[in-house]
Amino acid sequence: MDMTAGLGFKTEHLEEALTSRAAGLWFEVHAENYMVEGGPRLAALLALRERRPISLHGVGLSIASVEPPAPEHLARLKTLADRIEPAAVSDHLAWQRWEGGHHADFLPFPRTEAALDIVVRNVDQVQVTLKRPLLVENPSLYADLPGHEMGEAEFLTQLAQRTGCGLLIDVNNIFVSAANLGFKADARIDAIAGELVGEIHLAGHSKDSDPASPLLIDSHDAGVSDAVWALYRRLIARIGPRPTLIERDDQIPAFDVLMAERDIAQSIMIEGDDRYEYV
Amino acid sequence: MNMSELNISEPAVFQATFAQALADETAAVEMFADPAIARALAVHRNTSAKAAHDALAANYPVLRTLVSEDSFAGCAQAFVASHPPRDPRLCLYGEDLAAFVAAYGPFSQAPYLADVATLERLVTEALFAADAEPLDGAGFARALDLDLALTLHPTVRFTTVASPAASIWLAHQPGAPPDALERLVWIDEALVVSRPGMAVQVAAIDSSTLVFLKACQSGATVAGAALAAAALGADVSALVATLITAGAFRAGLDLTLARKT
Repeated sequence: MDMTAGLGFKTEHLEEALTSRAAGLWFEVHAENYMVEGGPRLAALLALRERRPISLHGVGLSIASVEPPAPEHLARLKTLADRIEPAAVSDHLAWQRWEGGHHADFLPFPRTEAALDIVVRNVDQVQVTLKRPLLVENPSLYADLPGHEMGEAEFLTQLAQRTGCGLLIDVNNIFVSAANLGFKADARIDAIAGELVGEIHLAGHSKDSDPASPLLIDSHDAGVSDAVWALYRRLIARIGPRPTLIERDDQIPAFDVLMAERDIAQSIMIEGDDRYEYV
Repeated sequence: MNMSELNISEPAVFQATFAQALADETAAVEMFADPAIARALAVHRNTSAKAAHDALAANYPVLRTLVSEDSFAGCAQAFVASHPPRDPRLCLYGEDLAAFVAAYGPFSQAPYLADVATLERLVTEALFAADAEPLDGAGFARALDLDLALTLHPTVRFTTVASPAASIWLAHQPGAPPDALERLVWIDEALVVSRPGMAVQVAAIDSSTLVFLKACQSGATVAGAALAAAALGADVSALVATLITAGAFRAGLDLTLARKT
């Protein structure tokens, strides 16, 4: 496997990212941050792609929107993908766009047959335009909505079967959603169609400030929790190793600190569960 | 599958309802009786508001320093409410902040804040504009023909402001002299922003340099631009040298192609 455990790329870590000798290391960026004409940020990514596989992780395709993907946004993603030749392109099973506005979060929707048809159309359109497969990520959920006709795992499996897209399984999002909605994270991990998984995300979460019944927030501002590592081990033991990303978007620590977390994921994938007693 | 075969009505009704509930907390309570959904809506509101605030904070660092964290957050919150993001590229968010700041009541005693915001927007534009080889002194000398037009570098932006916004901005950069703010002279400034390589540069310029840049932008020949600047008493060779140092012009073919007939 060429790509083992990777890191979200931060421009302040460019030198260390370029010179790291870690086997299997790869980097992921938020695609939108690089949809620009030029400048130092894009130059850094172009330098990094010479050394390491790059994954473009979108936060703005809005594939669960009733409207088709915004043409100008999709065109920019296509331009960037053609320039970077990424190892993977991904976005979220969620919507952000409504009447020309952009909600900078991953909004939920009732998982109905009608919604599935719409997401299938949108993912088809993305993949036809990019001429690349998309990986679709399970978002963090904060409340159960009325009107679901199928579970998330079933929805994602059907989406993948109908479009040929792959899945990006965010283990932290499953843990956060399970805590918030009151389902069993283990069972949800076990329901994932392993053969469809092209990438895994691991991240930290936080608690919101309501002491009565705190929600877990997918904040990406802390290390991966023990419970999330346990779920990750469970998933890898069943489906085998997959490119796995340590995501950190806030309270960014030193490169070495992120690499240490990344090395845990690497060990779990390469050496198997028993060898690692770090956490 | 085409659009006509899709049953979009129910998903569309949900998204319209959810979007309205996100925008209006009071309406949300009527729309979703389940308190868990009200809390989820609050999480989504907070997350998107934080993302928008953080994007403004990243794009307007000097404004933020000038007004303190809390004042900036208040201004950002009001701006986000009236100018919510429309583009997923939050690295470009905040185009209209300068105009908003100019009309923002709590900052009305400090009109220079809008000027600093104007400059910081130009810095963001320059940062992400297309890369190009800047014209250097040797290239200029080699190609010097008074009937040529100089093409502005794609990162170049310039404007005038009714305060020393460029000097204020420069005083807040790493390596600025510690007494830069004390030495500030309270005058209107013209300024040019450029990014000849990977680092953005900001310089206060005099009115003749501004006239020269404007002339170049409108396609004037070197001779025409020089005459316009000289009419204001400029030392044109010094002016051109300054602009070349700033990387204000584009090198290469464009210089030749821009030849006036």
